[in-house]
Amino acid sequence: MIRLLRIARREYLAYVRTPGFWLSLLLLPVGLSTIVIAPMVMQRSAPTPRIAIVDFTGEGLAKVLNSALTVRADGDKPQAVIVTAPDAPYASPADAEKRLAPYLAGRRLLPSGARLDAVAVLRPAGDTVAVDFWSRTIANGGVEQTVGAAVEGAIRRDRLRSLGLDPNTLARVESLSPVVSLFSPQAITGKVSLEDRLPGFAGLAMGMLLWMVVLTGAGMLLNSVMEEKTSRIIEVLLSSASVPEIMGGKILGVACVTGTILAFWMSIAGVVIALRSPSLAGEVIGVFMSHARWAYFALYFVGGYLMFATLYVTIGAFCETTREAQTLLGPMMIVMSVPPLFMSQAIAHPDAPLLRSLTWVPLFTPFMMAARAASNPPLWEILGTAAMMFAVTGFELWVAVPAFKSGALATGRFDIRVFFASLVRRGAP
Amino acid sequence: MEAALVVEGVTKRYGAFTAVDDLSFTLGAGKILGFLGPNGAGKTTTVRMILGLVAPTAGRVTVLGEADPARVRDRIGFLPEERGLYRRMSPVRAIAFLASLKGLSTAEGRRRARELLAAQGMAEYADKPIRSLSKGLAQKVQILSTLAHRPGLVILDEPFSGLDPANQQALEELIRDIAARGATVIFSTHVMQHAERLCDQVLLMARGRKVFDGTVEAARAAAPRTLLLEGKFQASDLADLPGVADLSAETIESDAIRVNAALIAGAPAQDTLREAFARGLDIRRFELREPHLHDAFLVLTGGGTLQQ
Repeated sequence: MIRLLRIARREYLAYVRTPGFWLSLLLLPVGLSTIVIAPMVMQRSAPTPRIAIVDFTGEGLAKVLNSALTVRADGDKPQAVIVTAPDAPYASPADAEKRLAPYLAGRRLLPSGARLDAVAVLRPAGDTVAVDFWSRTIANGGVEQTVGAAVEGAIRRDRLRSLGLDPNTLARVESLSPVVSLFSPQAITGKVSLEDRLPGFAGLAMGMLLWMVVLTGAGMLLNSVMEEKTSRIIEVLLSSASVPEIMGGKILGVACVTGTILAFWMSIAGVVIALRSPSLAGEVIGVFMSHARWAYFALYFVGGYLMFATLYVTIGAFCETTREAQTLLGPMMIVMSVPPLFMSQAIAHPDAPLLRSLTWVPLFTPFMMAARAASNPPLWEILGTAAMMFAVTGFELWVAVPAFKSGALATGRFDIRVFFASLVRRGAP
Repeated sequence: MEAALVVEGVTKRYGAFTAVDDLSFTLGAGKILGFLGPNGAGKTTTVRMILGLVAPTAGRVTVLGEADPARVRDRIGFLPEERGLYRRMSPVRAIAFLASLKGLSTAEGRRRARELLAAQGMAEYADKPIRSLSKGLAQKVQILSTLAHRPGLVILDEPFSGLDPANQQALEELIRDIAARGATVIFSTHVMQHAERLCDQVLLMARGRKVFDGTVEAARAAAPRTLLLEGKFQASDLADLPGVADLSAETIESDAIRVNAALIAGAPAQDTLREAFARGLDIRRFELREPHLHDAFLVLTGGGTLQQ
């Protein structure tokens, strides 16, 4: 046992001392922060578009648009700046469009010296109003949608008023919206709230985390064993410790590395959630503590990691180059691409027959069961799938321990027939 | 004499292929054994059976008094061929880690690592990454890593390869020191001079079988002594000289030849020389050559080439 721990310690320190570890540690928080912050920064730093409104309707819609585009309820900067249309007046909408075209193309500038970014030409169209929106660029930040919505509201109110509806009644009608509530027997209070939905999100998050841990941990384990095999250190290790001690040490060491990264990420997430919404933080903690979900997640997390780590360590013992490893990892990656396809479905349909069936495929069990946590699967299902998962892991270890030694001592190019032969005959040296 | 290693009737088969066939030998404690043989002789398989990495198909290996080598692996030091180390680790950390797997505490491993490095004049490299060391220094670090836990049996696979002459000399001294403090050393090599200078016992293998087991002197005796003669005569003039078993001749000048006459075991060389001079042959130079281990190797392995 002491050798296992010493191998694990060396493995852990070997990774922690590399720049790659610190990059992995910081990459996700920095990446997520960038994804969240970058659009906000870009939006704030982008210049406010200048728009000219040419109204041929005679219904005073320019005033409505001015209010819709420049007044923001949230106190943000206005969506657009209204400018006086240059070279006005215009004989017709076509005339306006023809004379304003050079401004939009950038060949002419506004009297202030600025560029004109957009023009909204409002003209009658039968009983309604047509809006011809001209923009300097194809993407205009949704200004045309605001213009369309404002005109729609204005002409609806105008038509209703002309039908005799008084302004107070109109205002009351516009403020009417249905109060929709969702109830379910599975909800804690009967009425579905965020607290009831959180287990689904937590399950999906745990499933995805496990999937990421398996992928990153697998790469680390493969590289570690391959490096030791290439340099023949593996022979020295085999002459100093048993195969279970070596494999166990490596698996534990890499688990500690990925655990450190996960703990850091989760701590950051926890701090952010606690700062932004202390009540949400409390509800998230509640999700993990209720129904002994922490134990449920731990069961499948540990089982899933062990099952895949054993497989990857054994594969590494047979490979001396990345190319050789890819020969074996290719099929594994295809298998690994299946769980994410179905995990997201578990939020909406945690007990769908297909998802329940996939749960019983041992290679998918840890991911699918984590994703289905919200539906509180029955005990027999938990025990049955866990038993199968650990049985497969046990079988893997039974085959892998001698196969690892056989692979580690083998020299020369990787031969897939030798690999499978050693698995079949338990790698008897 | 207490035996550090007893190999009795050991055979190892891989399917239809026999890697080691009925091998037996004994090695006394504190002795140095040279393990010699051409490629494919079965040396690596034998070493792996001694280390307990591979189980024999038949026979028994007793290491340091234990029938199961795994039970005494803390008392064995092993240096594999084609070696390497953790490149990002420092020599002190690497040696201490491997020693810790042999039962030493990390602190004691580090103390001994510094001691060994200082003794080899490498104290200044103790905390530098191994990848920054020269190949020779890195190899010395790995050799030292097999010694930090003070093993009773040290197995070195081609320890001299890659070392410059000065470091080879230093390693020879180190191996003698290991044996002097009572440890048993087994090393494989294809440089016969190292075996001749160091070994108390040599074991020659060919095609999985033992072809010789004994002292260097006994091995040399397996090869014939050679009488070298140069002068103006015909090779056929020497064919019927007393004690001559075989002749090989080469021209060294337009009218002179050099003859290597292999002597029959035990035949006195002076009788052969006396008869040659009695015949009035024009002999300008003669020399009696005692066989080297290299000659014995070629004879005992059936003229096989040296490994690698």
